[in-house]
Amino acid sequence: MIRIIAYICFVGSFLAFSSGTLGLFKFPDPYTRMHALGMSDTLGVGLVGLGLILLSPDWILRFKLIILLFLFWLINPTMSHLIAKAGLIHGVKPVKDTKLKKG
Amino acid sequence: MLYILTFKKRGFMVRKRSLILYILLLMFWIVISAEIDFQHVFVGAIVSFATVWFWQDLGPRQPSVPTAGVFLLLIRCMLMMVWYIIQSNIAVAKTLLFNKPPSKPMFVIMETSIMSNWGRVLLGTCITIAPGSATIDIDPETGRFIVHALTEETAVGLLYWRIIDEIERLEKRMKRGETHVVDVGRTPGINSSDSPASDYRADSP
Repeated sequence: MIRIIAYICFVGSFLAFSSGTLGLFKFPDPYTRMHALGMSDTLGVGLVGLGLILLSPDWILRFKLIILLFLFWLINPTMSHLIAKAGLIHGVKPVKDTKLKKG
Repeated sequence: MLYILTFKKRGFMVRKRSLILYILLLMFWIVISAEIDFQHVFVGAIVSFATVWFWQDLGPRQPSVPTAGVFLLLIRCMLMMVWYIIQSNIAVAKTLLFNKPPSKPMFVIMETSIMSNWGRVLLGTCITIAPGSATIDIDPETGRFIVHALTEETAVGLLYWRIIDEIERLEKRMKRGETHVVDVGRTPGINSSDSPASDYRADSP
């Protein structure tokens, strides 16, 4: 049963990564593409990690995988932020329809 | 006398933080080591000690050690975040595959009442980790966030996000428990020249 759940996680991860890659082609500018890749970074990596945790033979390995997932979820947003900020500083223009909202 | 007491208290707090940092580093070393034997633990202990010693000047600038209550609040915040990540992943997948709601990207300028640097970093990370929104910039002077949102719905939702209230609550709880470190960023008014914490890096007695 656990093995089946793990395989479902892997399939889900594959779908998340596929959608992320599709977004890379479908979305019009680097800022929106970043959101699509964010999906691969969070759900894709998360589901692979969950599947591997379920298949792990011992708790030390599971703990290591949890730490790895935590690091992934900490580093990826930082890198996305850096890319977006660099884009804005260097004048990468967003798609024409992009609006500005003040909250 | 008061100065000596403050100094002693500050020294104790810095030592406590260094010790916690040392334990965390050692734990991380053990976790990433292939085996747990004398050699790995010994090398880890030395490397962790060297790291803590090398960065000891950062000690007073770190946020204070969270209490059990704050820690529980942080875990609650993280669990909420996991739920939001799942929700926003589904929303982005819908926009991507079926264009529902239609993608109308937006730059949102957000004003929050989060004062501390760690609170702003935490909120910035939470915004970026949830697909559909990404923090572009945080102004350290005003705490103003520039966020890119994939759809209008996401942009509006961001302004009333529950995580912002949770981080504000967390910040208040941390401040209540704080004894000497004031990490209030560089918000005007709080870091004014007549304030004891005119330099955000300085310890106020």
